[in-house]
Amino acid sequence: MEIGILRRDGRTDPFFDGAAEDRLVIRRCEPCDHWYAPDQSGCPSCGGDELVWAQASGEATLVTWTVLHGRPAADGTVPPPAVLGLVELAEGPWLNARLDGVDAAALREGLALRASFVHPAEGEPYLLFRPV
Amino acid sequence: MGEGAAIAGLGMTELGRVYGRSARRLAADAVRRAAADAGLGPADLDGLVVSHGLGGSPGIELADTLGLRDLRVLTQMNAFGATAGAMIAYAAMSVTSGAATTVACVFADAPLRPERSSGAAYERSAREWHGYGGMTAALGFRSVNALYALAARRHMARYGTTSEQFGAIAVSTRQWATMNPLAQMRDPITLADHQNSRWVAEPLHLLDCCLVSNGAIAVVVTSADRARDLARPPVHIWGWGQGHPGHRRERGSEFGLTTGAAVSGPIAMKMAGVTVSDIDVCELYDCYTYTVLVSLEDYGFCAKGEGGAFVESGALGPGGALPTNTGGGQLSGYYMWGMTPLSEAVVQARGDGGERQVAKNDVILVSGNGGILDHHSTLILSPHRKGA
Ligand SMILES: [Zn+2]
Repeated sequence: MEIGILRRDGRTDPFFDGAAEDRLVIRRCEPCDHWYAPDQSGCPSCGGDELVWAQASGEATLVTWTVLHGRPAADGTVPPPAVLGLVELAEGPWLNARLDGVDAAALREGLALRASFVHPAEGEPYLLFRPV
Repeated sequence: MGEGAAIAGLGMTELGRVYGRSARRLAADAVRRAAADAGLGPADLDGLVVSHGLGGSPGIELADTLGLRDLRVLTQMNAFGATAGAMIAYAAMSVTSGAATTVACVFADAPLRPERSSGAAYERSAREWHGYGGMTAALGFRSVNALYALAARRHMARYGTTSEQFGAIAVSTRQWATMNPLAQMRDPITLADHQNSRWVAEPLHLLDCCLVSNGAIAVVVTSADRARDLARPPVHIWGWGQGHPGHRRERGSEFGLTTGAAVSGPIAMKMAGVTVSDIDVCELYDCYTYTVLVSLEDYGFCAKGEGGAFVESGALGPGGALPTNTGGGQLSGYYMWGMTPLSEAVVQARGDGGERQVAKNDVILVSGNGGILDHHSTLILSPHRKGA
């Protein structure tokens, strides 16, 4: 999977610190025990603006999915399709997820998935979800 | 206040692969055309409401471009694809409250460039990405097509909706487009053509996706009394509503299953004094075939989950029980956000549809949809005065 080079942005660095150790670190509002994706700022449930970074279990289920097809290039070559999904973490939040190691025809709502990390030679690690 | 508001003018520039003019120039042209259509000059306008596409222009400086002076109402509005409905509602409130007498509402965008494919118009790419959001973008989440595909797939998985049912919408919409000289895509298509068109983002084929167009469309809103004395038959604004569901991205979300139409529809219909059974024609925001299907459910034209069977019945096409997107919509006609369904509603209400004119046009429902099903607006329009 060729995705280019991933750099930190100073705002979501703890996610990449966790990813470096194969841990899924996301956002959590402690006062109301609500979990969010790593790029969430502020808690729409209680209005709190002090989200902490917290380790999620990495367990997830599939909500919905798509196979995204690239546009054919001028020379007629077509980039490999990407299987994308919305996954629901055990803690409740939905993440935009790239699925890996799946048979697109066998995908279904509720399929059990687990967070998994890829560590490229250059740049930050990235998150994939694979079937349990 | 009781007299209500009406659309008195419609102005459309050339639409589609129109190059060499900025969105601001296109907008100014559309406003002048809309005023002229009503039998007015730009100097007769005392209100201007501006909406731009993703290009970010024009804003309220359009008033300068048009040389408008002493305006009573001037603002820019943005609820993405729901903006047109919101603009008309604001203009109607302006003229019925006395804040202004004659308000032009305009949308313009020019995302197409001669050297770029239409698909590239809204796409960005980079070799280097930053942060968590950059990571998801690098992994494929930089395509609106993919996000709508996720919504459409969820509807299919939950309710058994099929790609062929989405295709029925593509086919019926194209049937209408064949009769609209302004439509960009006028060759008839079959369900097989839909099924054989290339995948964009499964379950969406190419023929499930809207066009991309350059151009501008404006309308002039004034009081029903004043509209009666102008050049064209008034299109009366009976009701309006908005719905912004605020789907949370977490357990229990209805994303993909329901839209803001479930809220905006009943509000607009109640204001208009009609029910869903009174609607003769639908002009629905069709960024994708799926959007039409889920909107029909949420408006109550069929039960939730039965949109597939409903569209498969042939109801939406020429001769069907619920003529829908009679100009070819955004799928086959032209992509001017919410001004696409609104402009066709004006054409049908005036009886200007020519070969595609519907027989019964007493009550017309117009929808707008913006974001990824985040924003919805509804208008109820009629050639007749409300309550008359
Ligand atoms: Zn909270």
